[in-house]
Amino acid sequence: MGHSDANSLRELDRANESLEPLAVHVWGDTSHFAFCETPADASAPNAGSANAVPEGHGGAELYQRIGHLTRTLHNALHELGYHDSLADARDHLPDARDRLAYIARLTGDAAEKVLNSVDRARSVQDATSARAKELRARWAAVAAYTAAGQRTTPAGQALVEETCAFLVTLGDQAAQTNAILTEIMMAQDFHDLTGQVIRKVVSLSQELEEQLVKLLIEATPAEQRKKIEVGRLEGPVVNAENRTDVVTDQAGVDDLLASLGF
Amino acid sequence: MSADPRFLIVDDFSTMRRIVRNLLKEIGFGNAEEAEDGVAALNLLRNGKFDFIVSDINMPNMDGFALLKNVRADENLKGIPFLMVTAEAKKEDIVNAAQNGANGYIVKPFTKATLEEKVQKIMKTHA
Repeated sequence: MGHSDANSLRELDRANESLEPLAVHVWGDTSHFAFCETPADASAPNAGSANAVPEGHGGAELYQRIGHLTRTLHNALHELGYHDSLADARDHLPDARDRLAYIARLTGDAAEKVLNSVDRARSVQDATSARAKELRARWAAVAAYTAAGQRTTPAGQALVEETCAFLVTLGDQAAQTNAILTEIMMAQDFHDLTGQVIRKVVSLSQELEEQLVKLLIEATPAEQRKKIEVGRLEGPVVNAENRTDVVTDQAGVDDLLASLGF
Repeated sequence: MSADPRFLIVDDFSTMRRIVRNLLKEIGFGNAEEAEDGVAALNLLRNGKFDFIVSDINMPNMDGFALLKNVRADENLKGIPFLMVTAEAKKEDIVNAAQNGANGYIVKPFTKATLEEKVQKIMKTHA
């Protein structure tokens, strides 16, 4: 560790020491915060009191000290070279966000496909059920006619009865299939639920990225910024609409190949 | 309430709107319109007659709570039954919905039986 690094760490330690009583003053017990090495002194002024900014000159002092801490952190990050890590983190956030959006889009499309299929299957079921009901009524009329002893054979009578029984079963089976289709449809609510979670994570990463960018602008000299090389193999393209170096579908592939004479 | 009540389904996820619409149809209520947020819902409500609102809470532009408050504050809309169907399961939200005039609250994921029970119960009290 170089001389300047050691100085920065000492500065950070001093900042932590000055922050602890301040945090106790504002939040009460701060033992769960990462910057506290020891549990907060229970006898500290206002320990455990409501977390309001103190009145009068205390509020101004609070902001002054937070400002000082921010400056200390800024200097330490700069001198220790943490801006590289920050830059890495900042550069990875948009990628993570695009991948989450990609997942949300794919699961949404899948849910829509299932719902479309359920609708189509239900339509077929309804038609089959309606047709079975109609035929059942007609066969019932035939059964009544033959039961009256008019032009019938034992085999014909049995066929009429079996067909009527089958048509009744068909109606019941259609109802069962419809119940299963309802279950399949209801299972697609995962898209709404997971989508809400993904949306929150995306929003969080956006805020984090904005904060990191601000910190980077302050902490990193322009000449030290470097561009992260993009990996040669990226996997599925998750933000094709924002890029001109990728195709968005198979038609794009075919057009490209055709333009090259293949 | 009319013999064929007209429902307004409000949710920013089209999947959920379709699910609710299909369930309502199965229950016997095939007359339904959809809106993707509170703003679109208010537009539809102010330009047509609806008998029942089924709304999500967490939506862009105008959330379900704001929609509920707008509906209850509007002389022409305040009597429409309002059922919340949402993933927000915090007690605070449920209490908030009730205090602001919601007639029912369903937490996602839910079943057809739950939706049917709540809708029928609300229908009875508004008959």
